[in-house]
Amino acid sequence: MTLAIDITFLVAVCLYVVAAVMSYVYLQGGKNSVLRATHHAVVGGAVLLFLLFCMRWATHGRLPLTTMVDVLNILILTATAVVLPLVRRENVRALLCYYAPPLALLAVFNGIVGRASLRTVPKELNEAFVAMHVGPVIIAFALFFVASLTGFVYIVQAQRLKSLRTNATPAKLPPLEQLDATLFSLIRWGYPLFVVTLLLGFFGAYLFPEELDANWWRSPKILLAVATAALFSFSFHSRKLGLLRGRKLAYVVVVGFTVMLAIYLLLQSTGLKDYGFWSASV
Amino acid sequence: MNLVVTGVSHHTSTLELRERLHFPESALPAALMKLKTALDGGGVVLLSTCNRVEIYACTNAPVHIAQDILRRFIGEWHGIPEQDYRDSLYQYEGREAVGHLFRVTGSLDSLVVGEAQILGQVHDAYLVAQSEQCTDKVISALFQRAFAIAKDIRSQTNIGAGTVSIGSVAVDLAVSIFSDLAGKTAMIIGSGKMGATTLRSIVSRGVDNVLLVNRNHDRAIELAGRVRGEAIPFDQLEANLPRADIVISSTAAPSHLLGPAHFQRALRRRSNEPFFVVDIAVPRNIDPAVKRMDNVYLYDIDDLQTVANANMEARRQEIDLCMQRVENGVEQFWAWLQGLAAEPTIMSIAAGIHQLREREVQKLLAQLPELGEHDEQARELIAASFKRFANAVLHQPTVQLKREVAHQDPHTVLHLVKRLFGLKESP
Repeated sequence: MTLAIDITFLVAVCLYVVAAVMSYVYLQGGKNSVLRATHHAVVGGAVLLFLLFCMRWATHGRLPLTTMVDVLNILILTATAVVLPLVRRENVRALLCYYAPPLALLAVFNGIVGRASLRTVPKELNEAFVAMHVGPVIIAFALFFVASLTGFVYIVQAQRLKSLRTNATPAKLPPLEQLDATLFSLIRWGYPLFVVTLLLGFFGAYLFPEELDANWWRSPKILLAVATAALFSFSFHSRKLGLLRGRKLAYVVVVGFTVMLAIYLLLQSTGLKDYGFWSASV
Repeated sequence: MNLVVTGVSHHTSTLELRERLHFPESALPAALMKLKTALDGGGVVLLSTCNRVEIYACTNAPVHIAQDILRRFIGEWHGIPEQDYRDSLYQYEGREAVGHLFRVTGSLDSLVVGEAQILGQVHDAYLVAQSEQCTDKVISALFQRAFAIAKDIRSQTNIGAGTVSIGSVAVDLAVSIFSDLAGKTAMIIGSGKMGATTLRSIVSRGVDNVLLVNRNHDRAIELAGRVRGEAIPFDQLEANLPRADIVISSTAAPSHLLGPAHFQRALRRRSNEPFFVVDIAVPRNIDPAVKRMDNVYLYDIDDLQTVANANMEARRQEIDLCMQRVENGVEQFWAWLQGLAAEPTIMSIAAGIHQLREREVQKLLAQLPELGEHDEQARELIAASFKRFANAVLHQPTVQLKREVAHQDPHTVLHLVKRLFGLKESP
């Protein structure tokens, strides 16, 4: 089973890399057959990641949601599940080629840094609502991830239109209005989900204080989660009120989320994210 | 069998002359019938668009007679003296006629190279001829081949990529900003001709609310009546600016009518929803500083012209590639057409061989009395075997003869083959 898990993981990463390469080829040449192949590679990668999730669950009898490799795999898988319906319509298919490379980057990062934890037994999430807390957090993160990618495409398209480089690549990007609507709808779904799961986490900490360190509330993971909630609260409400729209909103989401993700990956890969951070350091 | 084409186009004639020579759609059936009668059969297609009037014919008449008939027909039908159009007329025959049709259908001969309309127009002209039973085997094959090449050119090259008129470029930019122009509001400031043309292009894509602003309010009301829009007094321009998603300005004002402060206030009132602004006026009506604002996409006449020119240049760069496809198409069609000349000879040879086969089968069966009348299966096997043998013998000479006729002098080749097989020369 261990070998099967390793192979499944590596092939999934490879498929995402292939999708990223084909995305580049499509953006250069605009051939629909290449776009279709990109789509197939992404779907293939996601199927394998789902298979990996099932295999890890079956091997250890625990939901694999706690190790770095599992969290990133689920993040990529969920982000892919968000992306695929988004790029279903004819005039937005080219968007996939902007989504696939960052997904591949994340997959490669996981392949290099997170692979070591592929043999680690996942922690037991014995309380139902802890599992309910972790799963939706990852889904909310996936929505934010895709929102930041959509924001990036918005910036690219707005820049092209401003500088009249609309024919810079053969691939036609969706209209700004559609990108803005997609970006907002991703935040609109992700933000409340994230807030609810955050509150659920706080409720869990209140109910089971014995499972946490006394300083849990100021552990990097919690601070990062609160900062993420603040960022998307600002994005959501300012867009809802019409104060922030278009390129500025896209910049806030892209820069904000990239910083959050970079910090998260840094904390994850160095093992500093957990509740015992402060007590361990003191 | 001769292929000829006679006509005038935007390359050789004025619009006024083309208007005089134009065949309205309703007149096409009668004109086709008259042409068919004049040419004494064969196939004929009449193409009449705003940029060209052309007659394609396939006839047994000698080329110079056919061309003479077509030339005179154009004048006689419209009651125009020949000297009025003779110098504008072009006439092609044979391969040149085939190449001309392929270039026309592929939009390589169009006023705006790469425009898509011509393919539909040629197709319609062909369908009219077909419905009037004015097409024959050659004309049908010629036009089918032309459509296939045109589709190949459109799908495999970038000849139709990008838009090349100011109005279309503006529409392209607008649809890169808004998902759907339906339900959007367009404001036109001034009554310049270019502005009206751009507005028409945008309205044709579904914009249903039009606001017209003019210093002369009566003129605005008059224009509003024409496009079912709403006339806005000039001093209400800023107050109504937030209502517009698309702004087209083409006044003769000597200074800027709108600047960053106007758009800033308007954006605040419309929750920062984007503006698409086209300033076609010279001098410009909108302060260029607006271009740097977020959520305002401002383009002046130079911007639109730059995009149109770049797209046209990109199309021109594709012409050589398209011409290569046309040349290949002409080559293939011509080979097929020349091969047709060999068909009667091939049929005669085949008939002779099959007669011989039949005779030999009968002889053989007569020599095999042990095959009783009831042994039908054995008889059929023998006959089928002889037939397969005859077809196999005929296959290679048939293919080779068609090829030789296509590439050598058909008369010499056919004469030699007929002598070889002892066939009678056709009169």
